[in-house]
Amino acid sequence: MKTSASRVVLFTFAMVAAGTAADFNWNLPKGFPKPAVPPANPMSEAKVELGRYLFYDTRLSFNDKESCATCHKQELAFTDGRAHAEGTTGQLHPRSSMSLVNVAYATSLTWANPALDSLEEQALGPMLNTEPIELGLKGHEQEFLEKLRREPVYQRLFPLAFPDEANLYTLANVTKALAAFERTIISMRSPYDRYRWSGDMAAISDAAKRGELVFSSSERGRCFRCHDGWNFSSVRYAGSQEHPAEDSMRGFFNTGGSLYAAPNRGVYEYTKHAEDLGKFRAPTLRNVAVTGPYMHDGSFATMEEVIDHYAVGGKYEDPNKSRILQPLKLSEGDKKDLVEFLKSLTDDELLRDPRWSNPWVKQ
Amino acid sequence: MKTTGALLFLMLISCCVRAQEAASVVQVTGDVKQALSLSADDLARMPRATVRTTNNGMETVYEGVWLHDVLKKAGVPEGSELRGKALTTYVLAEAQDGYQVVFSLGELDPAFVDNEILLADTANGKALFGAQGRFRLVAGKDKPGARSVRLLTRIEVVQLRK
Repeated sequence: MKTSASRVVLFTFAMVAAGTAADFNWNLPKGFPKPAVPPANPMSEAKVELGRYLFYDTRLSFNDKESCATCHKQELAFTDGRAHAEGTTGQLHPRSSMSLVNVAYATSLTWANPALDSLEEQALGPMLNTEPIELGLKGHEQEFLEKLRREPVYQRLFPLAFPDEANLYTLANVTKALAAFERTIISMRSPYDRYRWSGDMAAISDAAKRGELVFSSSERGRCFRCHDGWNFSSVRYAGSQEHPAEDSMRGFFNTGGSLYAAPNRGVYEYTKHAEDLGKFRAPTLRNVAVTGPYMHDGSFATMEEVIDHYAVGGKYEDPNKSRILQPLKLSEGDKKDLVEFLKSLTDDELLRDPRWSNPWVKQ
Repeated sequence: MKTTGALLFLMLISCCVRAQEAASVVQVTGDVKQALSLSADDLARMPRATVRTTNNGMETVYEGVWLHDVLKKAGVPEGSELRGKALTTYVLAEAQDGYQVVFSLGELDPAFVDNEILLADTANGKALFGAQGRFRLVAGKDKPGARSVRLLTRIEVVQLRK
């Protein structure tokens, strides 16, 4: 009896220390759905904290130069401000770093891989990729894990994050913690959110209100056709049905924005289907004012350039170009209003909140 | 001459400004016994109904009046009257920006099909505003949202065979 009681106490203590999946506090504004979380990687406060330390740890690159945060900077809504991400050996990635904002809701990940829908799996990409080298850990895995094992912060956090595991320092646990942290990077508190969902009419300017009309109009901006819903992109949330196979291409579009030469041929790189050539994800537009340069290859420096591209129905002719793209009748005033609307999607709290800042830097 | 030009300019500006504001009434026109111009107050006095939608995981409860009841008020054939040539009638819904969609009269009549199409004026208890317009349609059983016309300004009833 005494043993049982002790076990209960210990179990309770462990659950309180680690935080349980069921009671994980997502801190969402009213009405927004909880993201879907894979059963194999339940959320806990301890795991999120561990993931935050790992996210900002340059030991995640073989030469201790780069971390996840090198290409995903909080103040830039977890992008890097570059057209092409630069790996730890100086190699450039053919594509621009995607924002991690609301990645917990993504129906699939990266610019053009409809089959990749696991954040845990995705995290292995930058760590181990060799063409190009990003963090360059391939061949250095054991050395990397040994570095983690020697770090006092991790000696405290790994057991809390994975209380039932004997072998704590594994790549699988590193990616689980990173994924848990990334799932908490949620942006829903922009001025536009206060206007649209809380009815604060003074939260955005009249120009932004006019821009919302242009954005949402089938006859004018048509932007919502690809950037729809509260996330301005399709979402997967807790309780939602798994996307059927025939729906897996939802959210990928050829916009005639480039000539789509290898290795930037979009979904085609994965499927080798001719009809997928040039199809890239329509990313969330949340915080778009701070995530330039734009498109998969950073080929547009400003939001104005992107709008001009869509206003002519796509810069280049392409047999795969989405039929949604048609020349738009937008005045210069409409374009300015659209930009003001897009600016209203910047969530300043997200860009500054210490929950997502570098924990290795003492405040 | 100068004054006339200035007046014309002011009128033009006034029209442009108004174009950004949501219409305060919905017109019901065309092949109806009684054309209507319905304000939010008018809708508030009619039988109220709700439709619950989920968009990307976010639930919204829209409240308003069944489009069928609006058409009934305009004297459009319904129930047992809806047969023969009356069944060639369609209902065009138009938004402030010119966007248009069509429903057949048959698919709006509960005697034919349980198709809940709402002319909504509130969402989650608050009056619609901004890009939703003051009024919108909610075609709750449509899979895509394309016929859930926002910024609704006009309902036109057209009987093809007379």
